[in-house]
Amino acid sequence: MISLASLFGRPPPAVGQTPSDVVFAENKWRLLRYRPRSEGVAHATPVLLVPSLINRHYVLDLLPGKSFVEWFVARGHDVFCIDWGTPGDEDRYLTFDDVCDRYLGRAIERTRKVAGAPKAHVLGYCLGGTLAAIHASVHPERFASLTALAAPIGFHDGGLLSAWTRSKGFDVQAVVTATGNVPWQLMQSAFHLLRPTLTLSKAVHVADKLWDDELMNGFLALETWGSDNVSFPGACYQRYVDELYRKNALLAGTFTLSGQPARLEAITCPTLAVTFQHDNIVPPESAAVLLERISSEDKHRIHLPGGHVGAVVSKKAAQGLWPAIAKFWADRD
Amino acid sequence: MNPWDIYKKAFNAWENATATYMEQVLKSPLVLEPAGAWLSTLMKAKAKSDELAAGWWGGLGLPTKRDQERTLHKLNQLESKLLDLEERLAAQE
Repeated sequence: MISLASLFGRPPPAVGQTPSDVVFAENKWRLLRYRPRSEGVAHATPVLLVPSLINRHYVLDLLPGKSFVEWFVARGHDVFCIDWGTPGDEDRYLTFDDVCDRYLGRAIERTRKVAGAPKAHVLGYCLGGTLAAIHASVHPERFASLTALAAPIGFHDGGLLSAWTRSKGFDVQAVVTATGNVPWQLMQSAFHLLRPTLTLSKAVHVADKLWDDELMNGFLALETWGSDNVSFPGACYQRYVDELYRKNALLAGTFTLSGQPARLEAITCPTLAVTFQHDNIVPPESAAVLLERISSEDKHRIHLPGGHVGAVVSKKAAQGLWPAIAKFWADRD
Repeated sequence: MNPWDIYKKAFNAWENATATYMEQVLKSPLVLEPAGAWLSTLMKAKAKSDELAAGWWGGLGLPTKRDQERTLHKLNQLESKLLDLEERLAAQE
């Protein structure tokens, strides 16, 4: 009971603590470079992390000792990360091309230049992986490798999000016209509905771990992140739903980026697709289809138990997933 | 097995069954169609009310929220184009 009571007075854990510098900024997005370890970097090719547009980037730098970024910096990688920031009302006009071609292209080019390398390893998480894959299909020369971490590629996947966005009653244009940027509250409600019993389940499962400070810190950090969402730029969202979800344009080969065809077959760089067995946001088959479509000969899949977020930031990930990704990059440095 | 473990086991079974059932319900066109239509109607009503307010505001000769958003967006685009130019110049040097 004392532990339960102490939970209420507990300050939220400090997230995103790995030291970094802003090396570039444009509109609301920033490019962060994590300060390399004191011994210096051990790998020639820098790593660029591309998070989802609707979540904060610090999911990959959750807590000291439980941070994807910190783990890779400690192993000598030169790690950069995009912080998409919070869109202002004027960003309702920001297009998919602005984000996926102009901003992401600039982030890769700056990463490359700052690190003094000809190419960069790009890791995209969730929608960030979709953006990275689309960009790689138009600008394959910029990629030393592509890592798609739970990234939706096939959108007719039988999942709930796919069913909702493709429902005839859902008028995406009406939503965008009325709201400008699609409010995070609307999207968060949709994510809650993916498993409406999840909150109750978390409460029950956390009840007997209340005395475990380390575990509770991790739990609260993840909850802090989960409630800290970002609205989706309107015009960008409309194209995302209309073309990717409804027309499945990426798999159909009809998607374009700034007027250029974005065909997955054009991806030739080493590619790693990571999928999770219990991912109800991006079903594994939706992410794995990337490997069937690209032309790369050097392509691999890691399929792990776990969900969309837990499997990326858990203690288990630090023992299995992170070393596997590190090896993939090191072998192609 | 202690009572808490028994409770958790029963809870897990209930939670799994409920989540599976809810998924079927939430995927059903019988739920999706009216829910989507309700959301769209709500959004169209909001857009109409915003339009009326903007019309009134614009009638006074004042810039509407949309006017300000468009201007700010143009400024951001201009900044982006300048950065594009800088990069092209740097590439030529």
